[in-house]
Formats: sequence, structure tokens, C-alpha cells
Amino acid sequence: MASPFQNRPRPTRRASRLLNIGVPYLWLGLFLLLPVAIVLQISLAEPTAAQPPYAALWQWVEEGVLQIRLDFQSYRLLWSDSLYLASFLNSLQVALVCTLLCLLLGYPMAYAIATAPERWRLPLLMLIVLPFWTSFLIRVYAWIGILKTNGFLNNFLLWLGVIDEPLAILYTQTAVYIGIVYSYLPFMILPLYANLTRLDPTLLEAAADLGCRPLRAFLRVTLPLSRAGIVAGSMLVFIPAVGEFVIPDLLGGPQTLMVGRMLWTEFFSNMDWPLAAALALVLLGLLVVPFVLMQRWQQGALEDRP
Amino acid sequence: MAIAIDRRSLEPWQDPKAQPYVRIERVTKKFGDVYAVDDVSLSIFQGEFFSLLGSSGCGKTTLLRILAGLEYPSSGRIFIDGADVTDLPPYNRPVNMMFQSYALFPHMTVEQNVEFGLKQERMPRRERAERVAEMLDLLKIGELRRRRPDQLSGGQRQRVALARSLAKHPKLLLLDEPLGALDKRLRENTQFELVNLQERIGTTFITVTHDQEEAMTMSTRLAVMDAGQIVQVDTPTGIYEYPNCRFVARFIGSVNLFEGKVVERDGDEVLVETPLGRPMRMRCPQPLALGSPVTVAVRPEKVRLCAAFREEAVNQIRGLVEDIAYLGDVSIYHVRVSPGQIVEMTLANIQPRTEQALTWGQEVAMEWSPTSGVVLAD
Repeated sequence: MASPFQNRPRPTRRASRLLNIGVPYLWLGLFLLLPVAIVLQISLAEPTAAQPPYAALWQWVEEGVLQIRLDFQSYRLLWSDSLYLASFLNSLQVALVCTLLCLLLGYPMAYAIATAPERWRLPLLMLIVLPFWTSFLIRVYAWIGILKTNGFLNNFLLWLGVIDEPLAILYTQTAVYIGIVYSYLPFMILPLYANLTRLDPTLLEAAADLGCRPLRAFLRVTLPLSRAGIVAGSMLVFIPAVGEFVIPDLLGGPQTLMVGRMLWTEFFSNMDWPLAAALALVLLGLLVVPFVLMQRWQQGALEDRP
Repeated sequence: MAIAIDRRSLEPWQDPKAQPYVRIERVTKKFGDVYAVDDVSLSIFQGEFFSLLGSSGCGKTTLLRILAGLEYPSSGRIFIDGADVTDLPPYNRPVNMMFQSYALFPHMTVEQNVEFGLKQERMPRRERAERVAEMLDLLKIGELRRRRPDQLSGGQRQRVALARSLAKHPKLLLLDEPLGALDKRLRENTQFELVNLQERIGTTFITVTHDQEEAMTMSTRLAVMDAGQIVQVDTPTGIYEYPNCRFVARFIGSVNLFEGKVVERDGDEVLVETPLGRPMRMRCPQPLALGSPVTVAVRPEKVRLCAAFREEAVNQIRGLVEDIAYLGDVSIYHVRVSPGQIVEMTLANIQPRTEQALTWGQEVAMEWSPTSGVVLAD
């Protein structure tokens, strides 16, 4: 802080500094910490058949005595019933596979756009972003029309003669994979594209000059230098995919166990708000830990180079 | 330095039997309708430090990139050490390039950068380590080996880039503005280092530069390029003393140009009549028809103060001092000799400036000898 203004802390400056620092914290407190605190409070309450469907956490039992009841039953239930663990594992697996698929599909697309002639880049990027102009729900519904037994895909494959009878894709885990990969692909492509356009093409020329064939140059230069983009894109896909509810609900079958769906069921069907809240918090914890780890890893990668 | 004297005295380009090491044969490169390189032929000999000199956009960098294999010529062939390499991709050429931006791999240490090319040719680990050590040693960057490019200064990066491009012991090293990114002082020191390095390892160097001083100091020979074509190829002395056209004369250093026409030939000297009045007598070995328009080119440092001015003498001229630029070691005088012509004269400051008689507005007489300049046909 070797600022030349350091010597004169005028009141207006102090006020503006307070405002600068204060507003984001106020925002975070109001819209992140407070809701999490409320959810935490609900998760520790006892479920009741009332409105709202949980007991108050504290009450005045007599003059000057505050009674606080923390009910850890919900968390115990999460741990004891293997259904929840299975749904967590399944969510993680689906999210992981989808992230990898998005990476495998998105990387070549981002690379192609980044290396396309200047005038092609914007139109190509627009094509990637275009689906966002339609409602997400409608796009997922459209997949039902494509994947169902008498849908476009099956009819097309039957017409080609590749299959003799329709494939059962809709209402299976495969449909969930397709839906998630389709929906989240842009979130993989955009950060990768941003990263790859900044790559200095002379580095590839240097690699070629030093004896690297194109494929090796890609593996030794382009790929390691796009690590930040890969990490950013993967997080943008993985994190929302773990808690995804709409896609497994619409495209998945009854056997598709995913946390988001579980949460919905507990909250709306079983009216067990404390259990749903506990589920949400555990999910949050599971996502925050890898997020922090990756953040740190990326920080390290950023410190390695400018 | 013994090698240097030896090499320079050899001057293979003077020897009609010498085989060129790099041969550029009628190479043309078109980008759309623009000729970046226009029918260029050039022979470069082993161990030369050859410079391509020209202003930006003259095609010098494109020619270098064609040699590296990074651009494919529209027509023409490239031979290196007798082999036609025109169709070889960059990764199969016995050529390495030092890029203007250095293009160091930011995710690798200095050591890994230098090692990169060796790994590609699958050199055994032991040998590789030795070669890397040799290169780091050669460029005195051993203590930087674990650093990454962003932790290096401009001069250090330049050395790493040089080490990396020399590591594979290329037959030919191409350098694109090798000193362009360095500040002035560092550039001057590095010029000599680069020449010494090249003399020590004996690799053929081809550099591209827009800096005439740099090209003059470093090169055995240089080619001046303009609009995709080579205008003149010669040694630095040859280019400076005997430019073959007004473009080269003006591009390298300062020059006084007098337009006129040949009126008389006397042995290998000609008499040139100029609008300034008296004829100029200049050495001119090349045949020129009487009456043909020519330009007499005389360098400012070859113009001297005239002790005994005679109205009828040749190569003498009188004028008024209009501007004086004092540079310490020398002073540059702009002397107006006619309403449309100024003669530039450089005089060494043998006496302290304060002792000198020459001042603004003063009338001076100047002269030069017939061998102090050239007669240009264009």
C-alpha cells in the first residue's frame, strides 16, 4: 500500500472505502450466509406435522430460561439409510462422467473455434450460446421427443437399419447423461475458448521448429497451457451437475438416484424439511471441498506463470 | 579471434568454386495478390553470419520463415547443405529458429525449454543432460536453470531462447530480430557476444533486422531488401562504401546525393555536371554513356573543410552553415550550398567545441576526393 494518498485519510475517502468493502460483504451476508444459516437451523430442528413442518429450535420454557433443542436425527438418518449414500455416490458418478464427456466434446469444439479465422469466431460462439435463448425446461422436454421409444432418434436408427427394434433410452441413466452433457456443454466450451484464444501461436511454431509433430506439440504445449481453462470448465459443469434435479427428473427413470431428486422428494412429497435441509448441507459440503482444493490448485498454476 | 580472421580472409563468396551451404533459388511468396517475397535468389556459405536488412514489410521475415519451413513458398526451391528441403515440414529440417518474441514455453523451466528439442529427437537421457549443461554453460545461464520464463529479465530470456535454438546443433540458425526486444545498451553488448558466440561454434547464422547498425556490426555479408526483392548483397564495407543504388545509399547511414549527368570520361573517372555549377570528378569503374543521368553519392564524413578554395577546382563547394548538431565525438554540419541543396558534413571534434571557429551563418568551403564517393546510375 505505497499509495501517494496514504498520508491523507480524508473522511470521504474512508467512507468510500467502507462502502467498497462493505457492500460485497453485506451482499454475501444477506444472500449467502443468512440463507445457509436458515437451512442449517432447519436441518437441526425436529420434523413435525405443522406449518412450517418443523419445530422451533429454541423456546422460553420459563422466565429467564432459554431452551435450545438441537435434533441431529436427520443427519443420523442420512448416515444410517444407505439410500442417501447411494444417491450421493450416483450423483458424483453422473457428474464426473458428464464432466469428462463435456471435456472430450467441448475441447475440440473450443479449439476449432479458437483457431478458426477471425471473422468466423463470433458466429461460431453465437451458435454455442444460441440454445440459451430458449427456456432450459423446453430444451430438456425436447429431448423426450428425441429419445422416446417412438422418437426421432429411434425412428432414424430404424430407418437406417442400424437397429431392428427401438432402443430404450428415455427414462434410463443414459438419457440423464445425454441431457446433462447437452445442457452443460457451453459452460465447458466458453472458458476453454477464452483460454485457447490467448495461447500464443508462435509457441506452436517454436515446438514445430524444435522437432515436434503437430500432435506432440498439442500434447506438450497446448494441453498443459490450457489447464486453467480445463479446470474452470470442469468446475462449471461438475458443480451444478451434482445437484441437478430437472434433467434426472424428466429424463431419468425411477432407478436414477440423484441427490437433487432426493432432496425434492424429501422436501415436497415427504414434507421432511429437516432431512431435506441436512441433505442440502451435506451436498454443499461435498461440493465446497473439491471447489476449494481446485481453487488452490489453480492458484498454484497461476502463480507458476503470468 | 584467429578463427574469425581466417574465416573473413577466406571470403568464400569471392571464390567461384565454393559451394554455397544455403541456396535460395528464385523463391517467391504471395499472400493473396501481394508479393511478400519476389523472385529472390541467394547463396549463403558455411559459417557465415548473414543478415537480411530492410524496413518493416520488405519481406525479410517471410524469407526467414520460408527457410524455417513455417511458410511454404509459392514457387522456388530451398537447398541446405546440398539437400532440397523445400517440401520438408519445420520439424524435419536441420534448421532452428530464434523467434523475435523468443516464444519460450511458459510452463517449462529454463532447463526444460533447452531440453525440449533434444527430447523430440529422442536423444538418450545422459547425452541430453550433457548437451543441456553445455548450452547453459555456453550462454552463462546455468544458475537460471530452475526458473520459469516469467521470472527472467529480457536479456536472460534472449539467452535462453538462443540456448534452446542452438541445443540441437542445427546446420543453420535463423534469428528473427534477435536483439529487437532488448534496450539500447544491452543491445550493443549483445551484438558482440552474438558474433563471438557464432565464431566459436561456427554455425551458419541468418538474422533478420531492420537496424542497419546492428547488421553492419555483426554480419559477414548482408542483403538489403525492399518490396520483396533483394536490392544489394555485399559485405558491410561494400554496402556502405559502394552502394549500388540510391535506396541502399540512403538506407545505410547518411549520404549527400547530387543529381547530374556524365559529361566526360577520363580513365576510370568521370566528370559529372550538376546544377550546382562546377563539375564533379568521381571514380566510376562501371561503363556509363556520356550524357546519362546519374547521382553522385558522398558520405558526410568524407566531406572535409577545404584549405585552399579555388573557383575552378573540381569537387569543391561553398555554402553557409545552417545547422550544427554536436554529438560529442563528432559534429554534424548542415551547409546550404544552393537554395535547394544542403550538404551534410561530419567533422571529428579534435579541438574542444568552444575552441572551434565554425559557427552558424558562417561561409565554409568543402571538398572531397574523387574516390570518396560513388556514381549511381539511377
